Amino acid sequence: MAGPSTASRGAVAGEKRAAPRPRRPYGAYRTALWIYAGLFYAFLYGPLLMIVFLSFNQSEIVGFPFTGFTTHWYGVVFESPALVKALGNSLGVGILAAGIATSLALALAMGFRHPFRGKTIVLYLILVPIIIPGIIGGIVLLIFFGYSGVRSSLYTTVLVAHVNWVLPFAFLTLYPRLHGFDRALEEAAMDLGAPPWKIFTRIVFPIVRPGVLATLLFSFSLSFDEFIRTIFVTGFDRTIPVQFWGLIVDELAPQLPAMAVLIIVISIFSSLIGFVFMGRAARRAATWSGSARRRPERAFATR
Amino acid sequence: MTTPEAAAPGSESGSGARAVEIRDVSKWFGEVTALDDVSLEIRRGEFFSLLGPSGCGKTTLLRMIGGFEGPSVGEILIDGEDTAGAPPYARSTNMIFQHLALFPHMSVFENVAFGLEMKRLDRSAIAERVERALDLVRLTGFDQRRIDQLSGGQKQRVAMARALINDPSVLLLDEPLGALDLQLRLRMQEELRRLHRSLGNTFIFVTHDQGEAMAMSDRIAVMDQGRILQVGTPEEIYEFPKTRFVADFVGHTNVFDGRVETVEPNGECLVACEGVAFRCRTPAGGLGDGEAVSIAVRYENIDIAVRGDPGAGPGTGCAATVTEKIYMGGVFRFETRTDAGAILTADVPTAGEARRIAEGERVHLAWRPTDVSVLLE
Repeated sequence: MAGPSTASRGAVAGEKRAAPRPRRPYGAYRTALWIYAGLFYAFLYGPLLMIVFLSFNQSEIVGFPFTGFTTHWYGVVFESPALVKALGNSLGVGILAAGIATSLALALAMGFRHPFRGKTIVLYLILVPIIIPGIIGGIVLLIFFGYSGVRSSLYTTVLVAHVNWVLPFAFLTLYPRLHGFDRALEEAAMDLGAPPWKIFTRIVFPIVRPGVLATLLFSFSLSFDEFIRTIFVTGFDRTIPVQFWGLIVDELAPQLPAMAVLIIVISIFSSLIGFVFMGRAARRAATWSGSARRRPERAFATR
Repeated sequence: MTTPEAAAPGSESGSGARAVEIRDVSKWFGEVTALDDVSLEIRRGEFFSLLGPSGCGKTTLLRMIGGFEGPSVGEILIDGEDTAGAPPYARSTNMIFQHLALFPHMSVFENVAFGLEMKRLDRSAIAERVERALDLVRLTGFDQRRIDQLSGGQKQRVAMARALINDPSVLLLDEPLGALDLQLRLRMQEELRRLHRSLGNTFIFVTHDQGEAMAMSDRIAVMDQGRILQVGTPEEIYEFPKTRFVADFVGHTNVFDGRVETVEPNGECLVACEGVAFRCRTPAGGLGDGEAVSIAVRYENIDIAVRGDPGAGPGTGCAATVTEKIYMGGVFRFETRTDAGAILTADVPTAGEARRIAEGERVHLAWRPTDVSVLLE
């Protein structure tokens, strides 16, 4: 039913009058779907757009009515030493946490390609931080650091909390890239005289590099937004979300929307670049391994 | 398989003449036996093929020679040295992989240069040798191409150049031509033969294609279910298959189970199978009266005629009815049934009398005792 109708529509594109427009199938269903999609995106992006809108409001009180356009509140954000420091803290921890989590995830993903004893248990252990509610995770970390006598600070407790939180996501992002990696490439390198570390630096890493970059950016984005676990272990060095929380609780500061917009922009930007790299990694895998998928005899022989 | 020949005095049996020796090797993957007590010697400079169906263990054997797998028991010697525990990068072997495994992020030059780079040669020496290698495989001027810009045949040539650049003592080829279409495959076969002749390295070639193995090899090992069934020149394998599997796998063959009727003093014997008597040469081990054996006659070794030769002795022919006649291009394939119900297939050149024989017709089949093989199992 759908086949002929679309075909005829394509054929008569130039002469619309000639044929009566065929009735679309599932008309009501399509309409409902459009309404659903419209509402979905309205609820998803409406508040975000509202925040952007409000960040340019002259009013001293956060909210409507809109009393005039200004970029004043962005100036306030960047003139506040506490906020600039928090931004620096977040960037520093984010970059370090992303680097550490991605390196660990890469090592884990390499290891996970081989069978080893207790593989399933290790996998679950890596994924536990995703399952445990954030508030519980924060308390657990607080107790842990308290008992082990580690003083709360940015590059001790907060960094550990962030790596702990980011690692499972980094692993889940990176593992498919390495799992789908054609082992014959490594064997070929080995055959041509490359010892294991050369195989990694010359063959494996260059090929999975887009996946690694994507993982770095996603990890950074996750760390940059982390709040619940951070607030338990943060000490005196505040990250952006913690600082933000303080501003909401202490005073409903008029520069809040501007800050929110900055956070959103940084997060979206790093994730977007991440997706670009991810797409590149997937395309590479698709074009390079097209012929390498099927090797029935090998599969049989090595089972 | 027979044990490796004892170091008999002779021109070819010194250890210097052997590129690879496989001694009593078995390999198990969990419950699965991939190789079952295999022994084999491959001579220096030989083009040697491992031929068998999927899962017969030929690739496993090749990968063990290359160092990608270790034998569960037994030893593998390359150039007279035990290779136990030596990783692939410490062996004088190089491999052309089934799907080539060219490095997708490198140019043709970088792919071919990789082996030399790992040996830490200086840049100018690398450049010179890569150029020579590319000349050798007729890819001059392709050095800066990316791998995904190459055709299937060009990729094959890059893989050959890359594997040969270190001048391996043994080149291992894991069905590298399998993915090519027929015309290209024939051309690459020719290319490999040319390389082998001009270089003189030992080539070990894995294939499931008996035609390919026949056309290229000095010697062939036919494998099935982890065992080597027969080793010999293509002619030996084809003309004198030792086992039923070899007879079936290599070429088209009529195989019958039967019993030895008489053993004659002139070195021939008569074997009765499904109502047809076959005269054949008694194999070296001798046969006893009444012993159960199988015999094999190739399709093309059976001749067909409207009238039998009255002078022919017993066991060199029989009467039959044509049940099917198929034109195969150059030959007719006749499926026939004897009066006792045995089914014999004959491939006969289209030039002769065969053209006029139709389905359903009574004919006389004939064969020579030298074309009948007695199979060991």
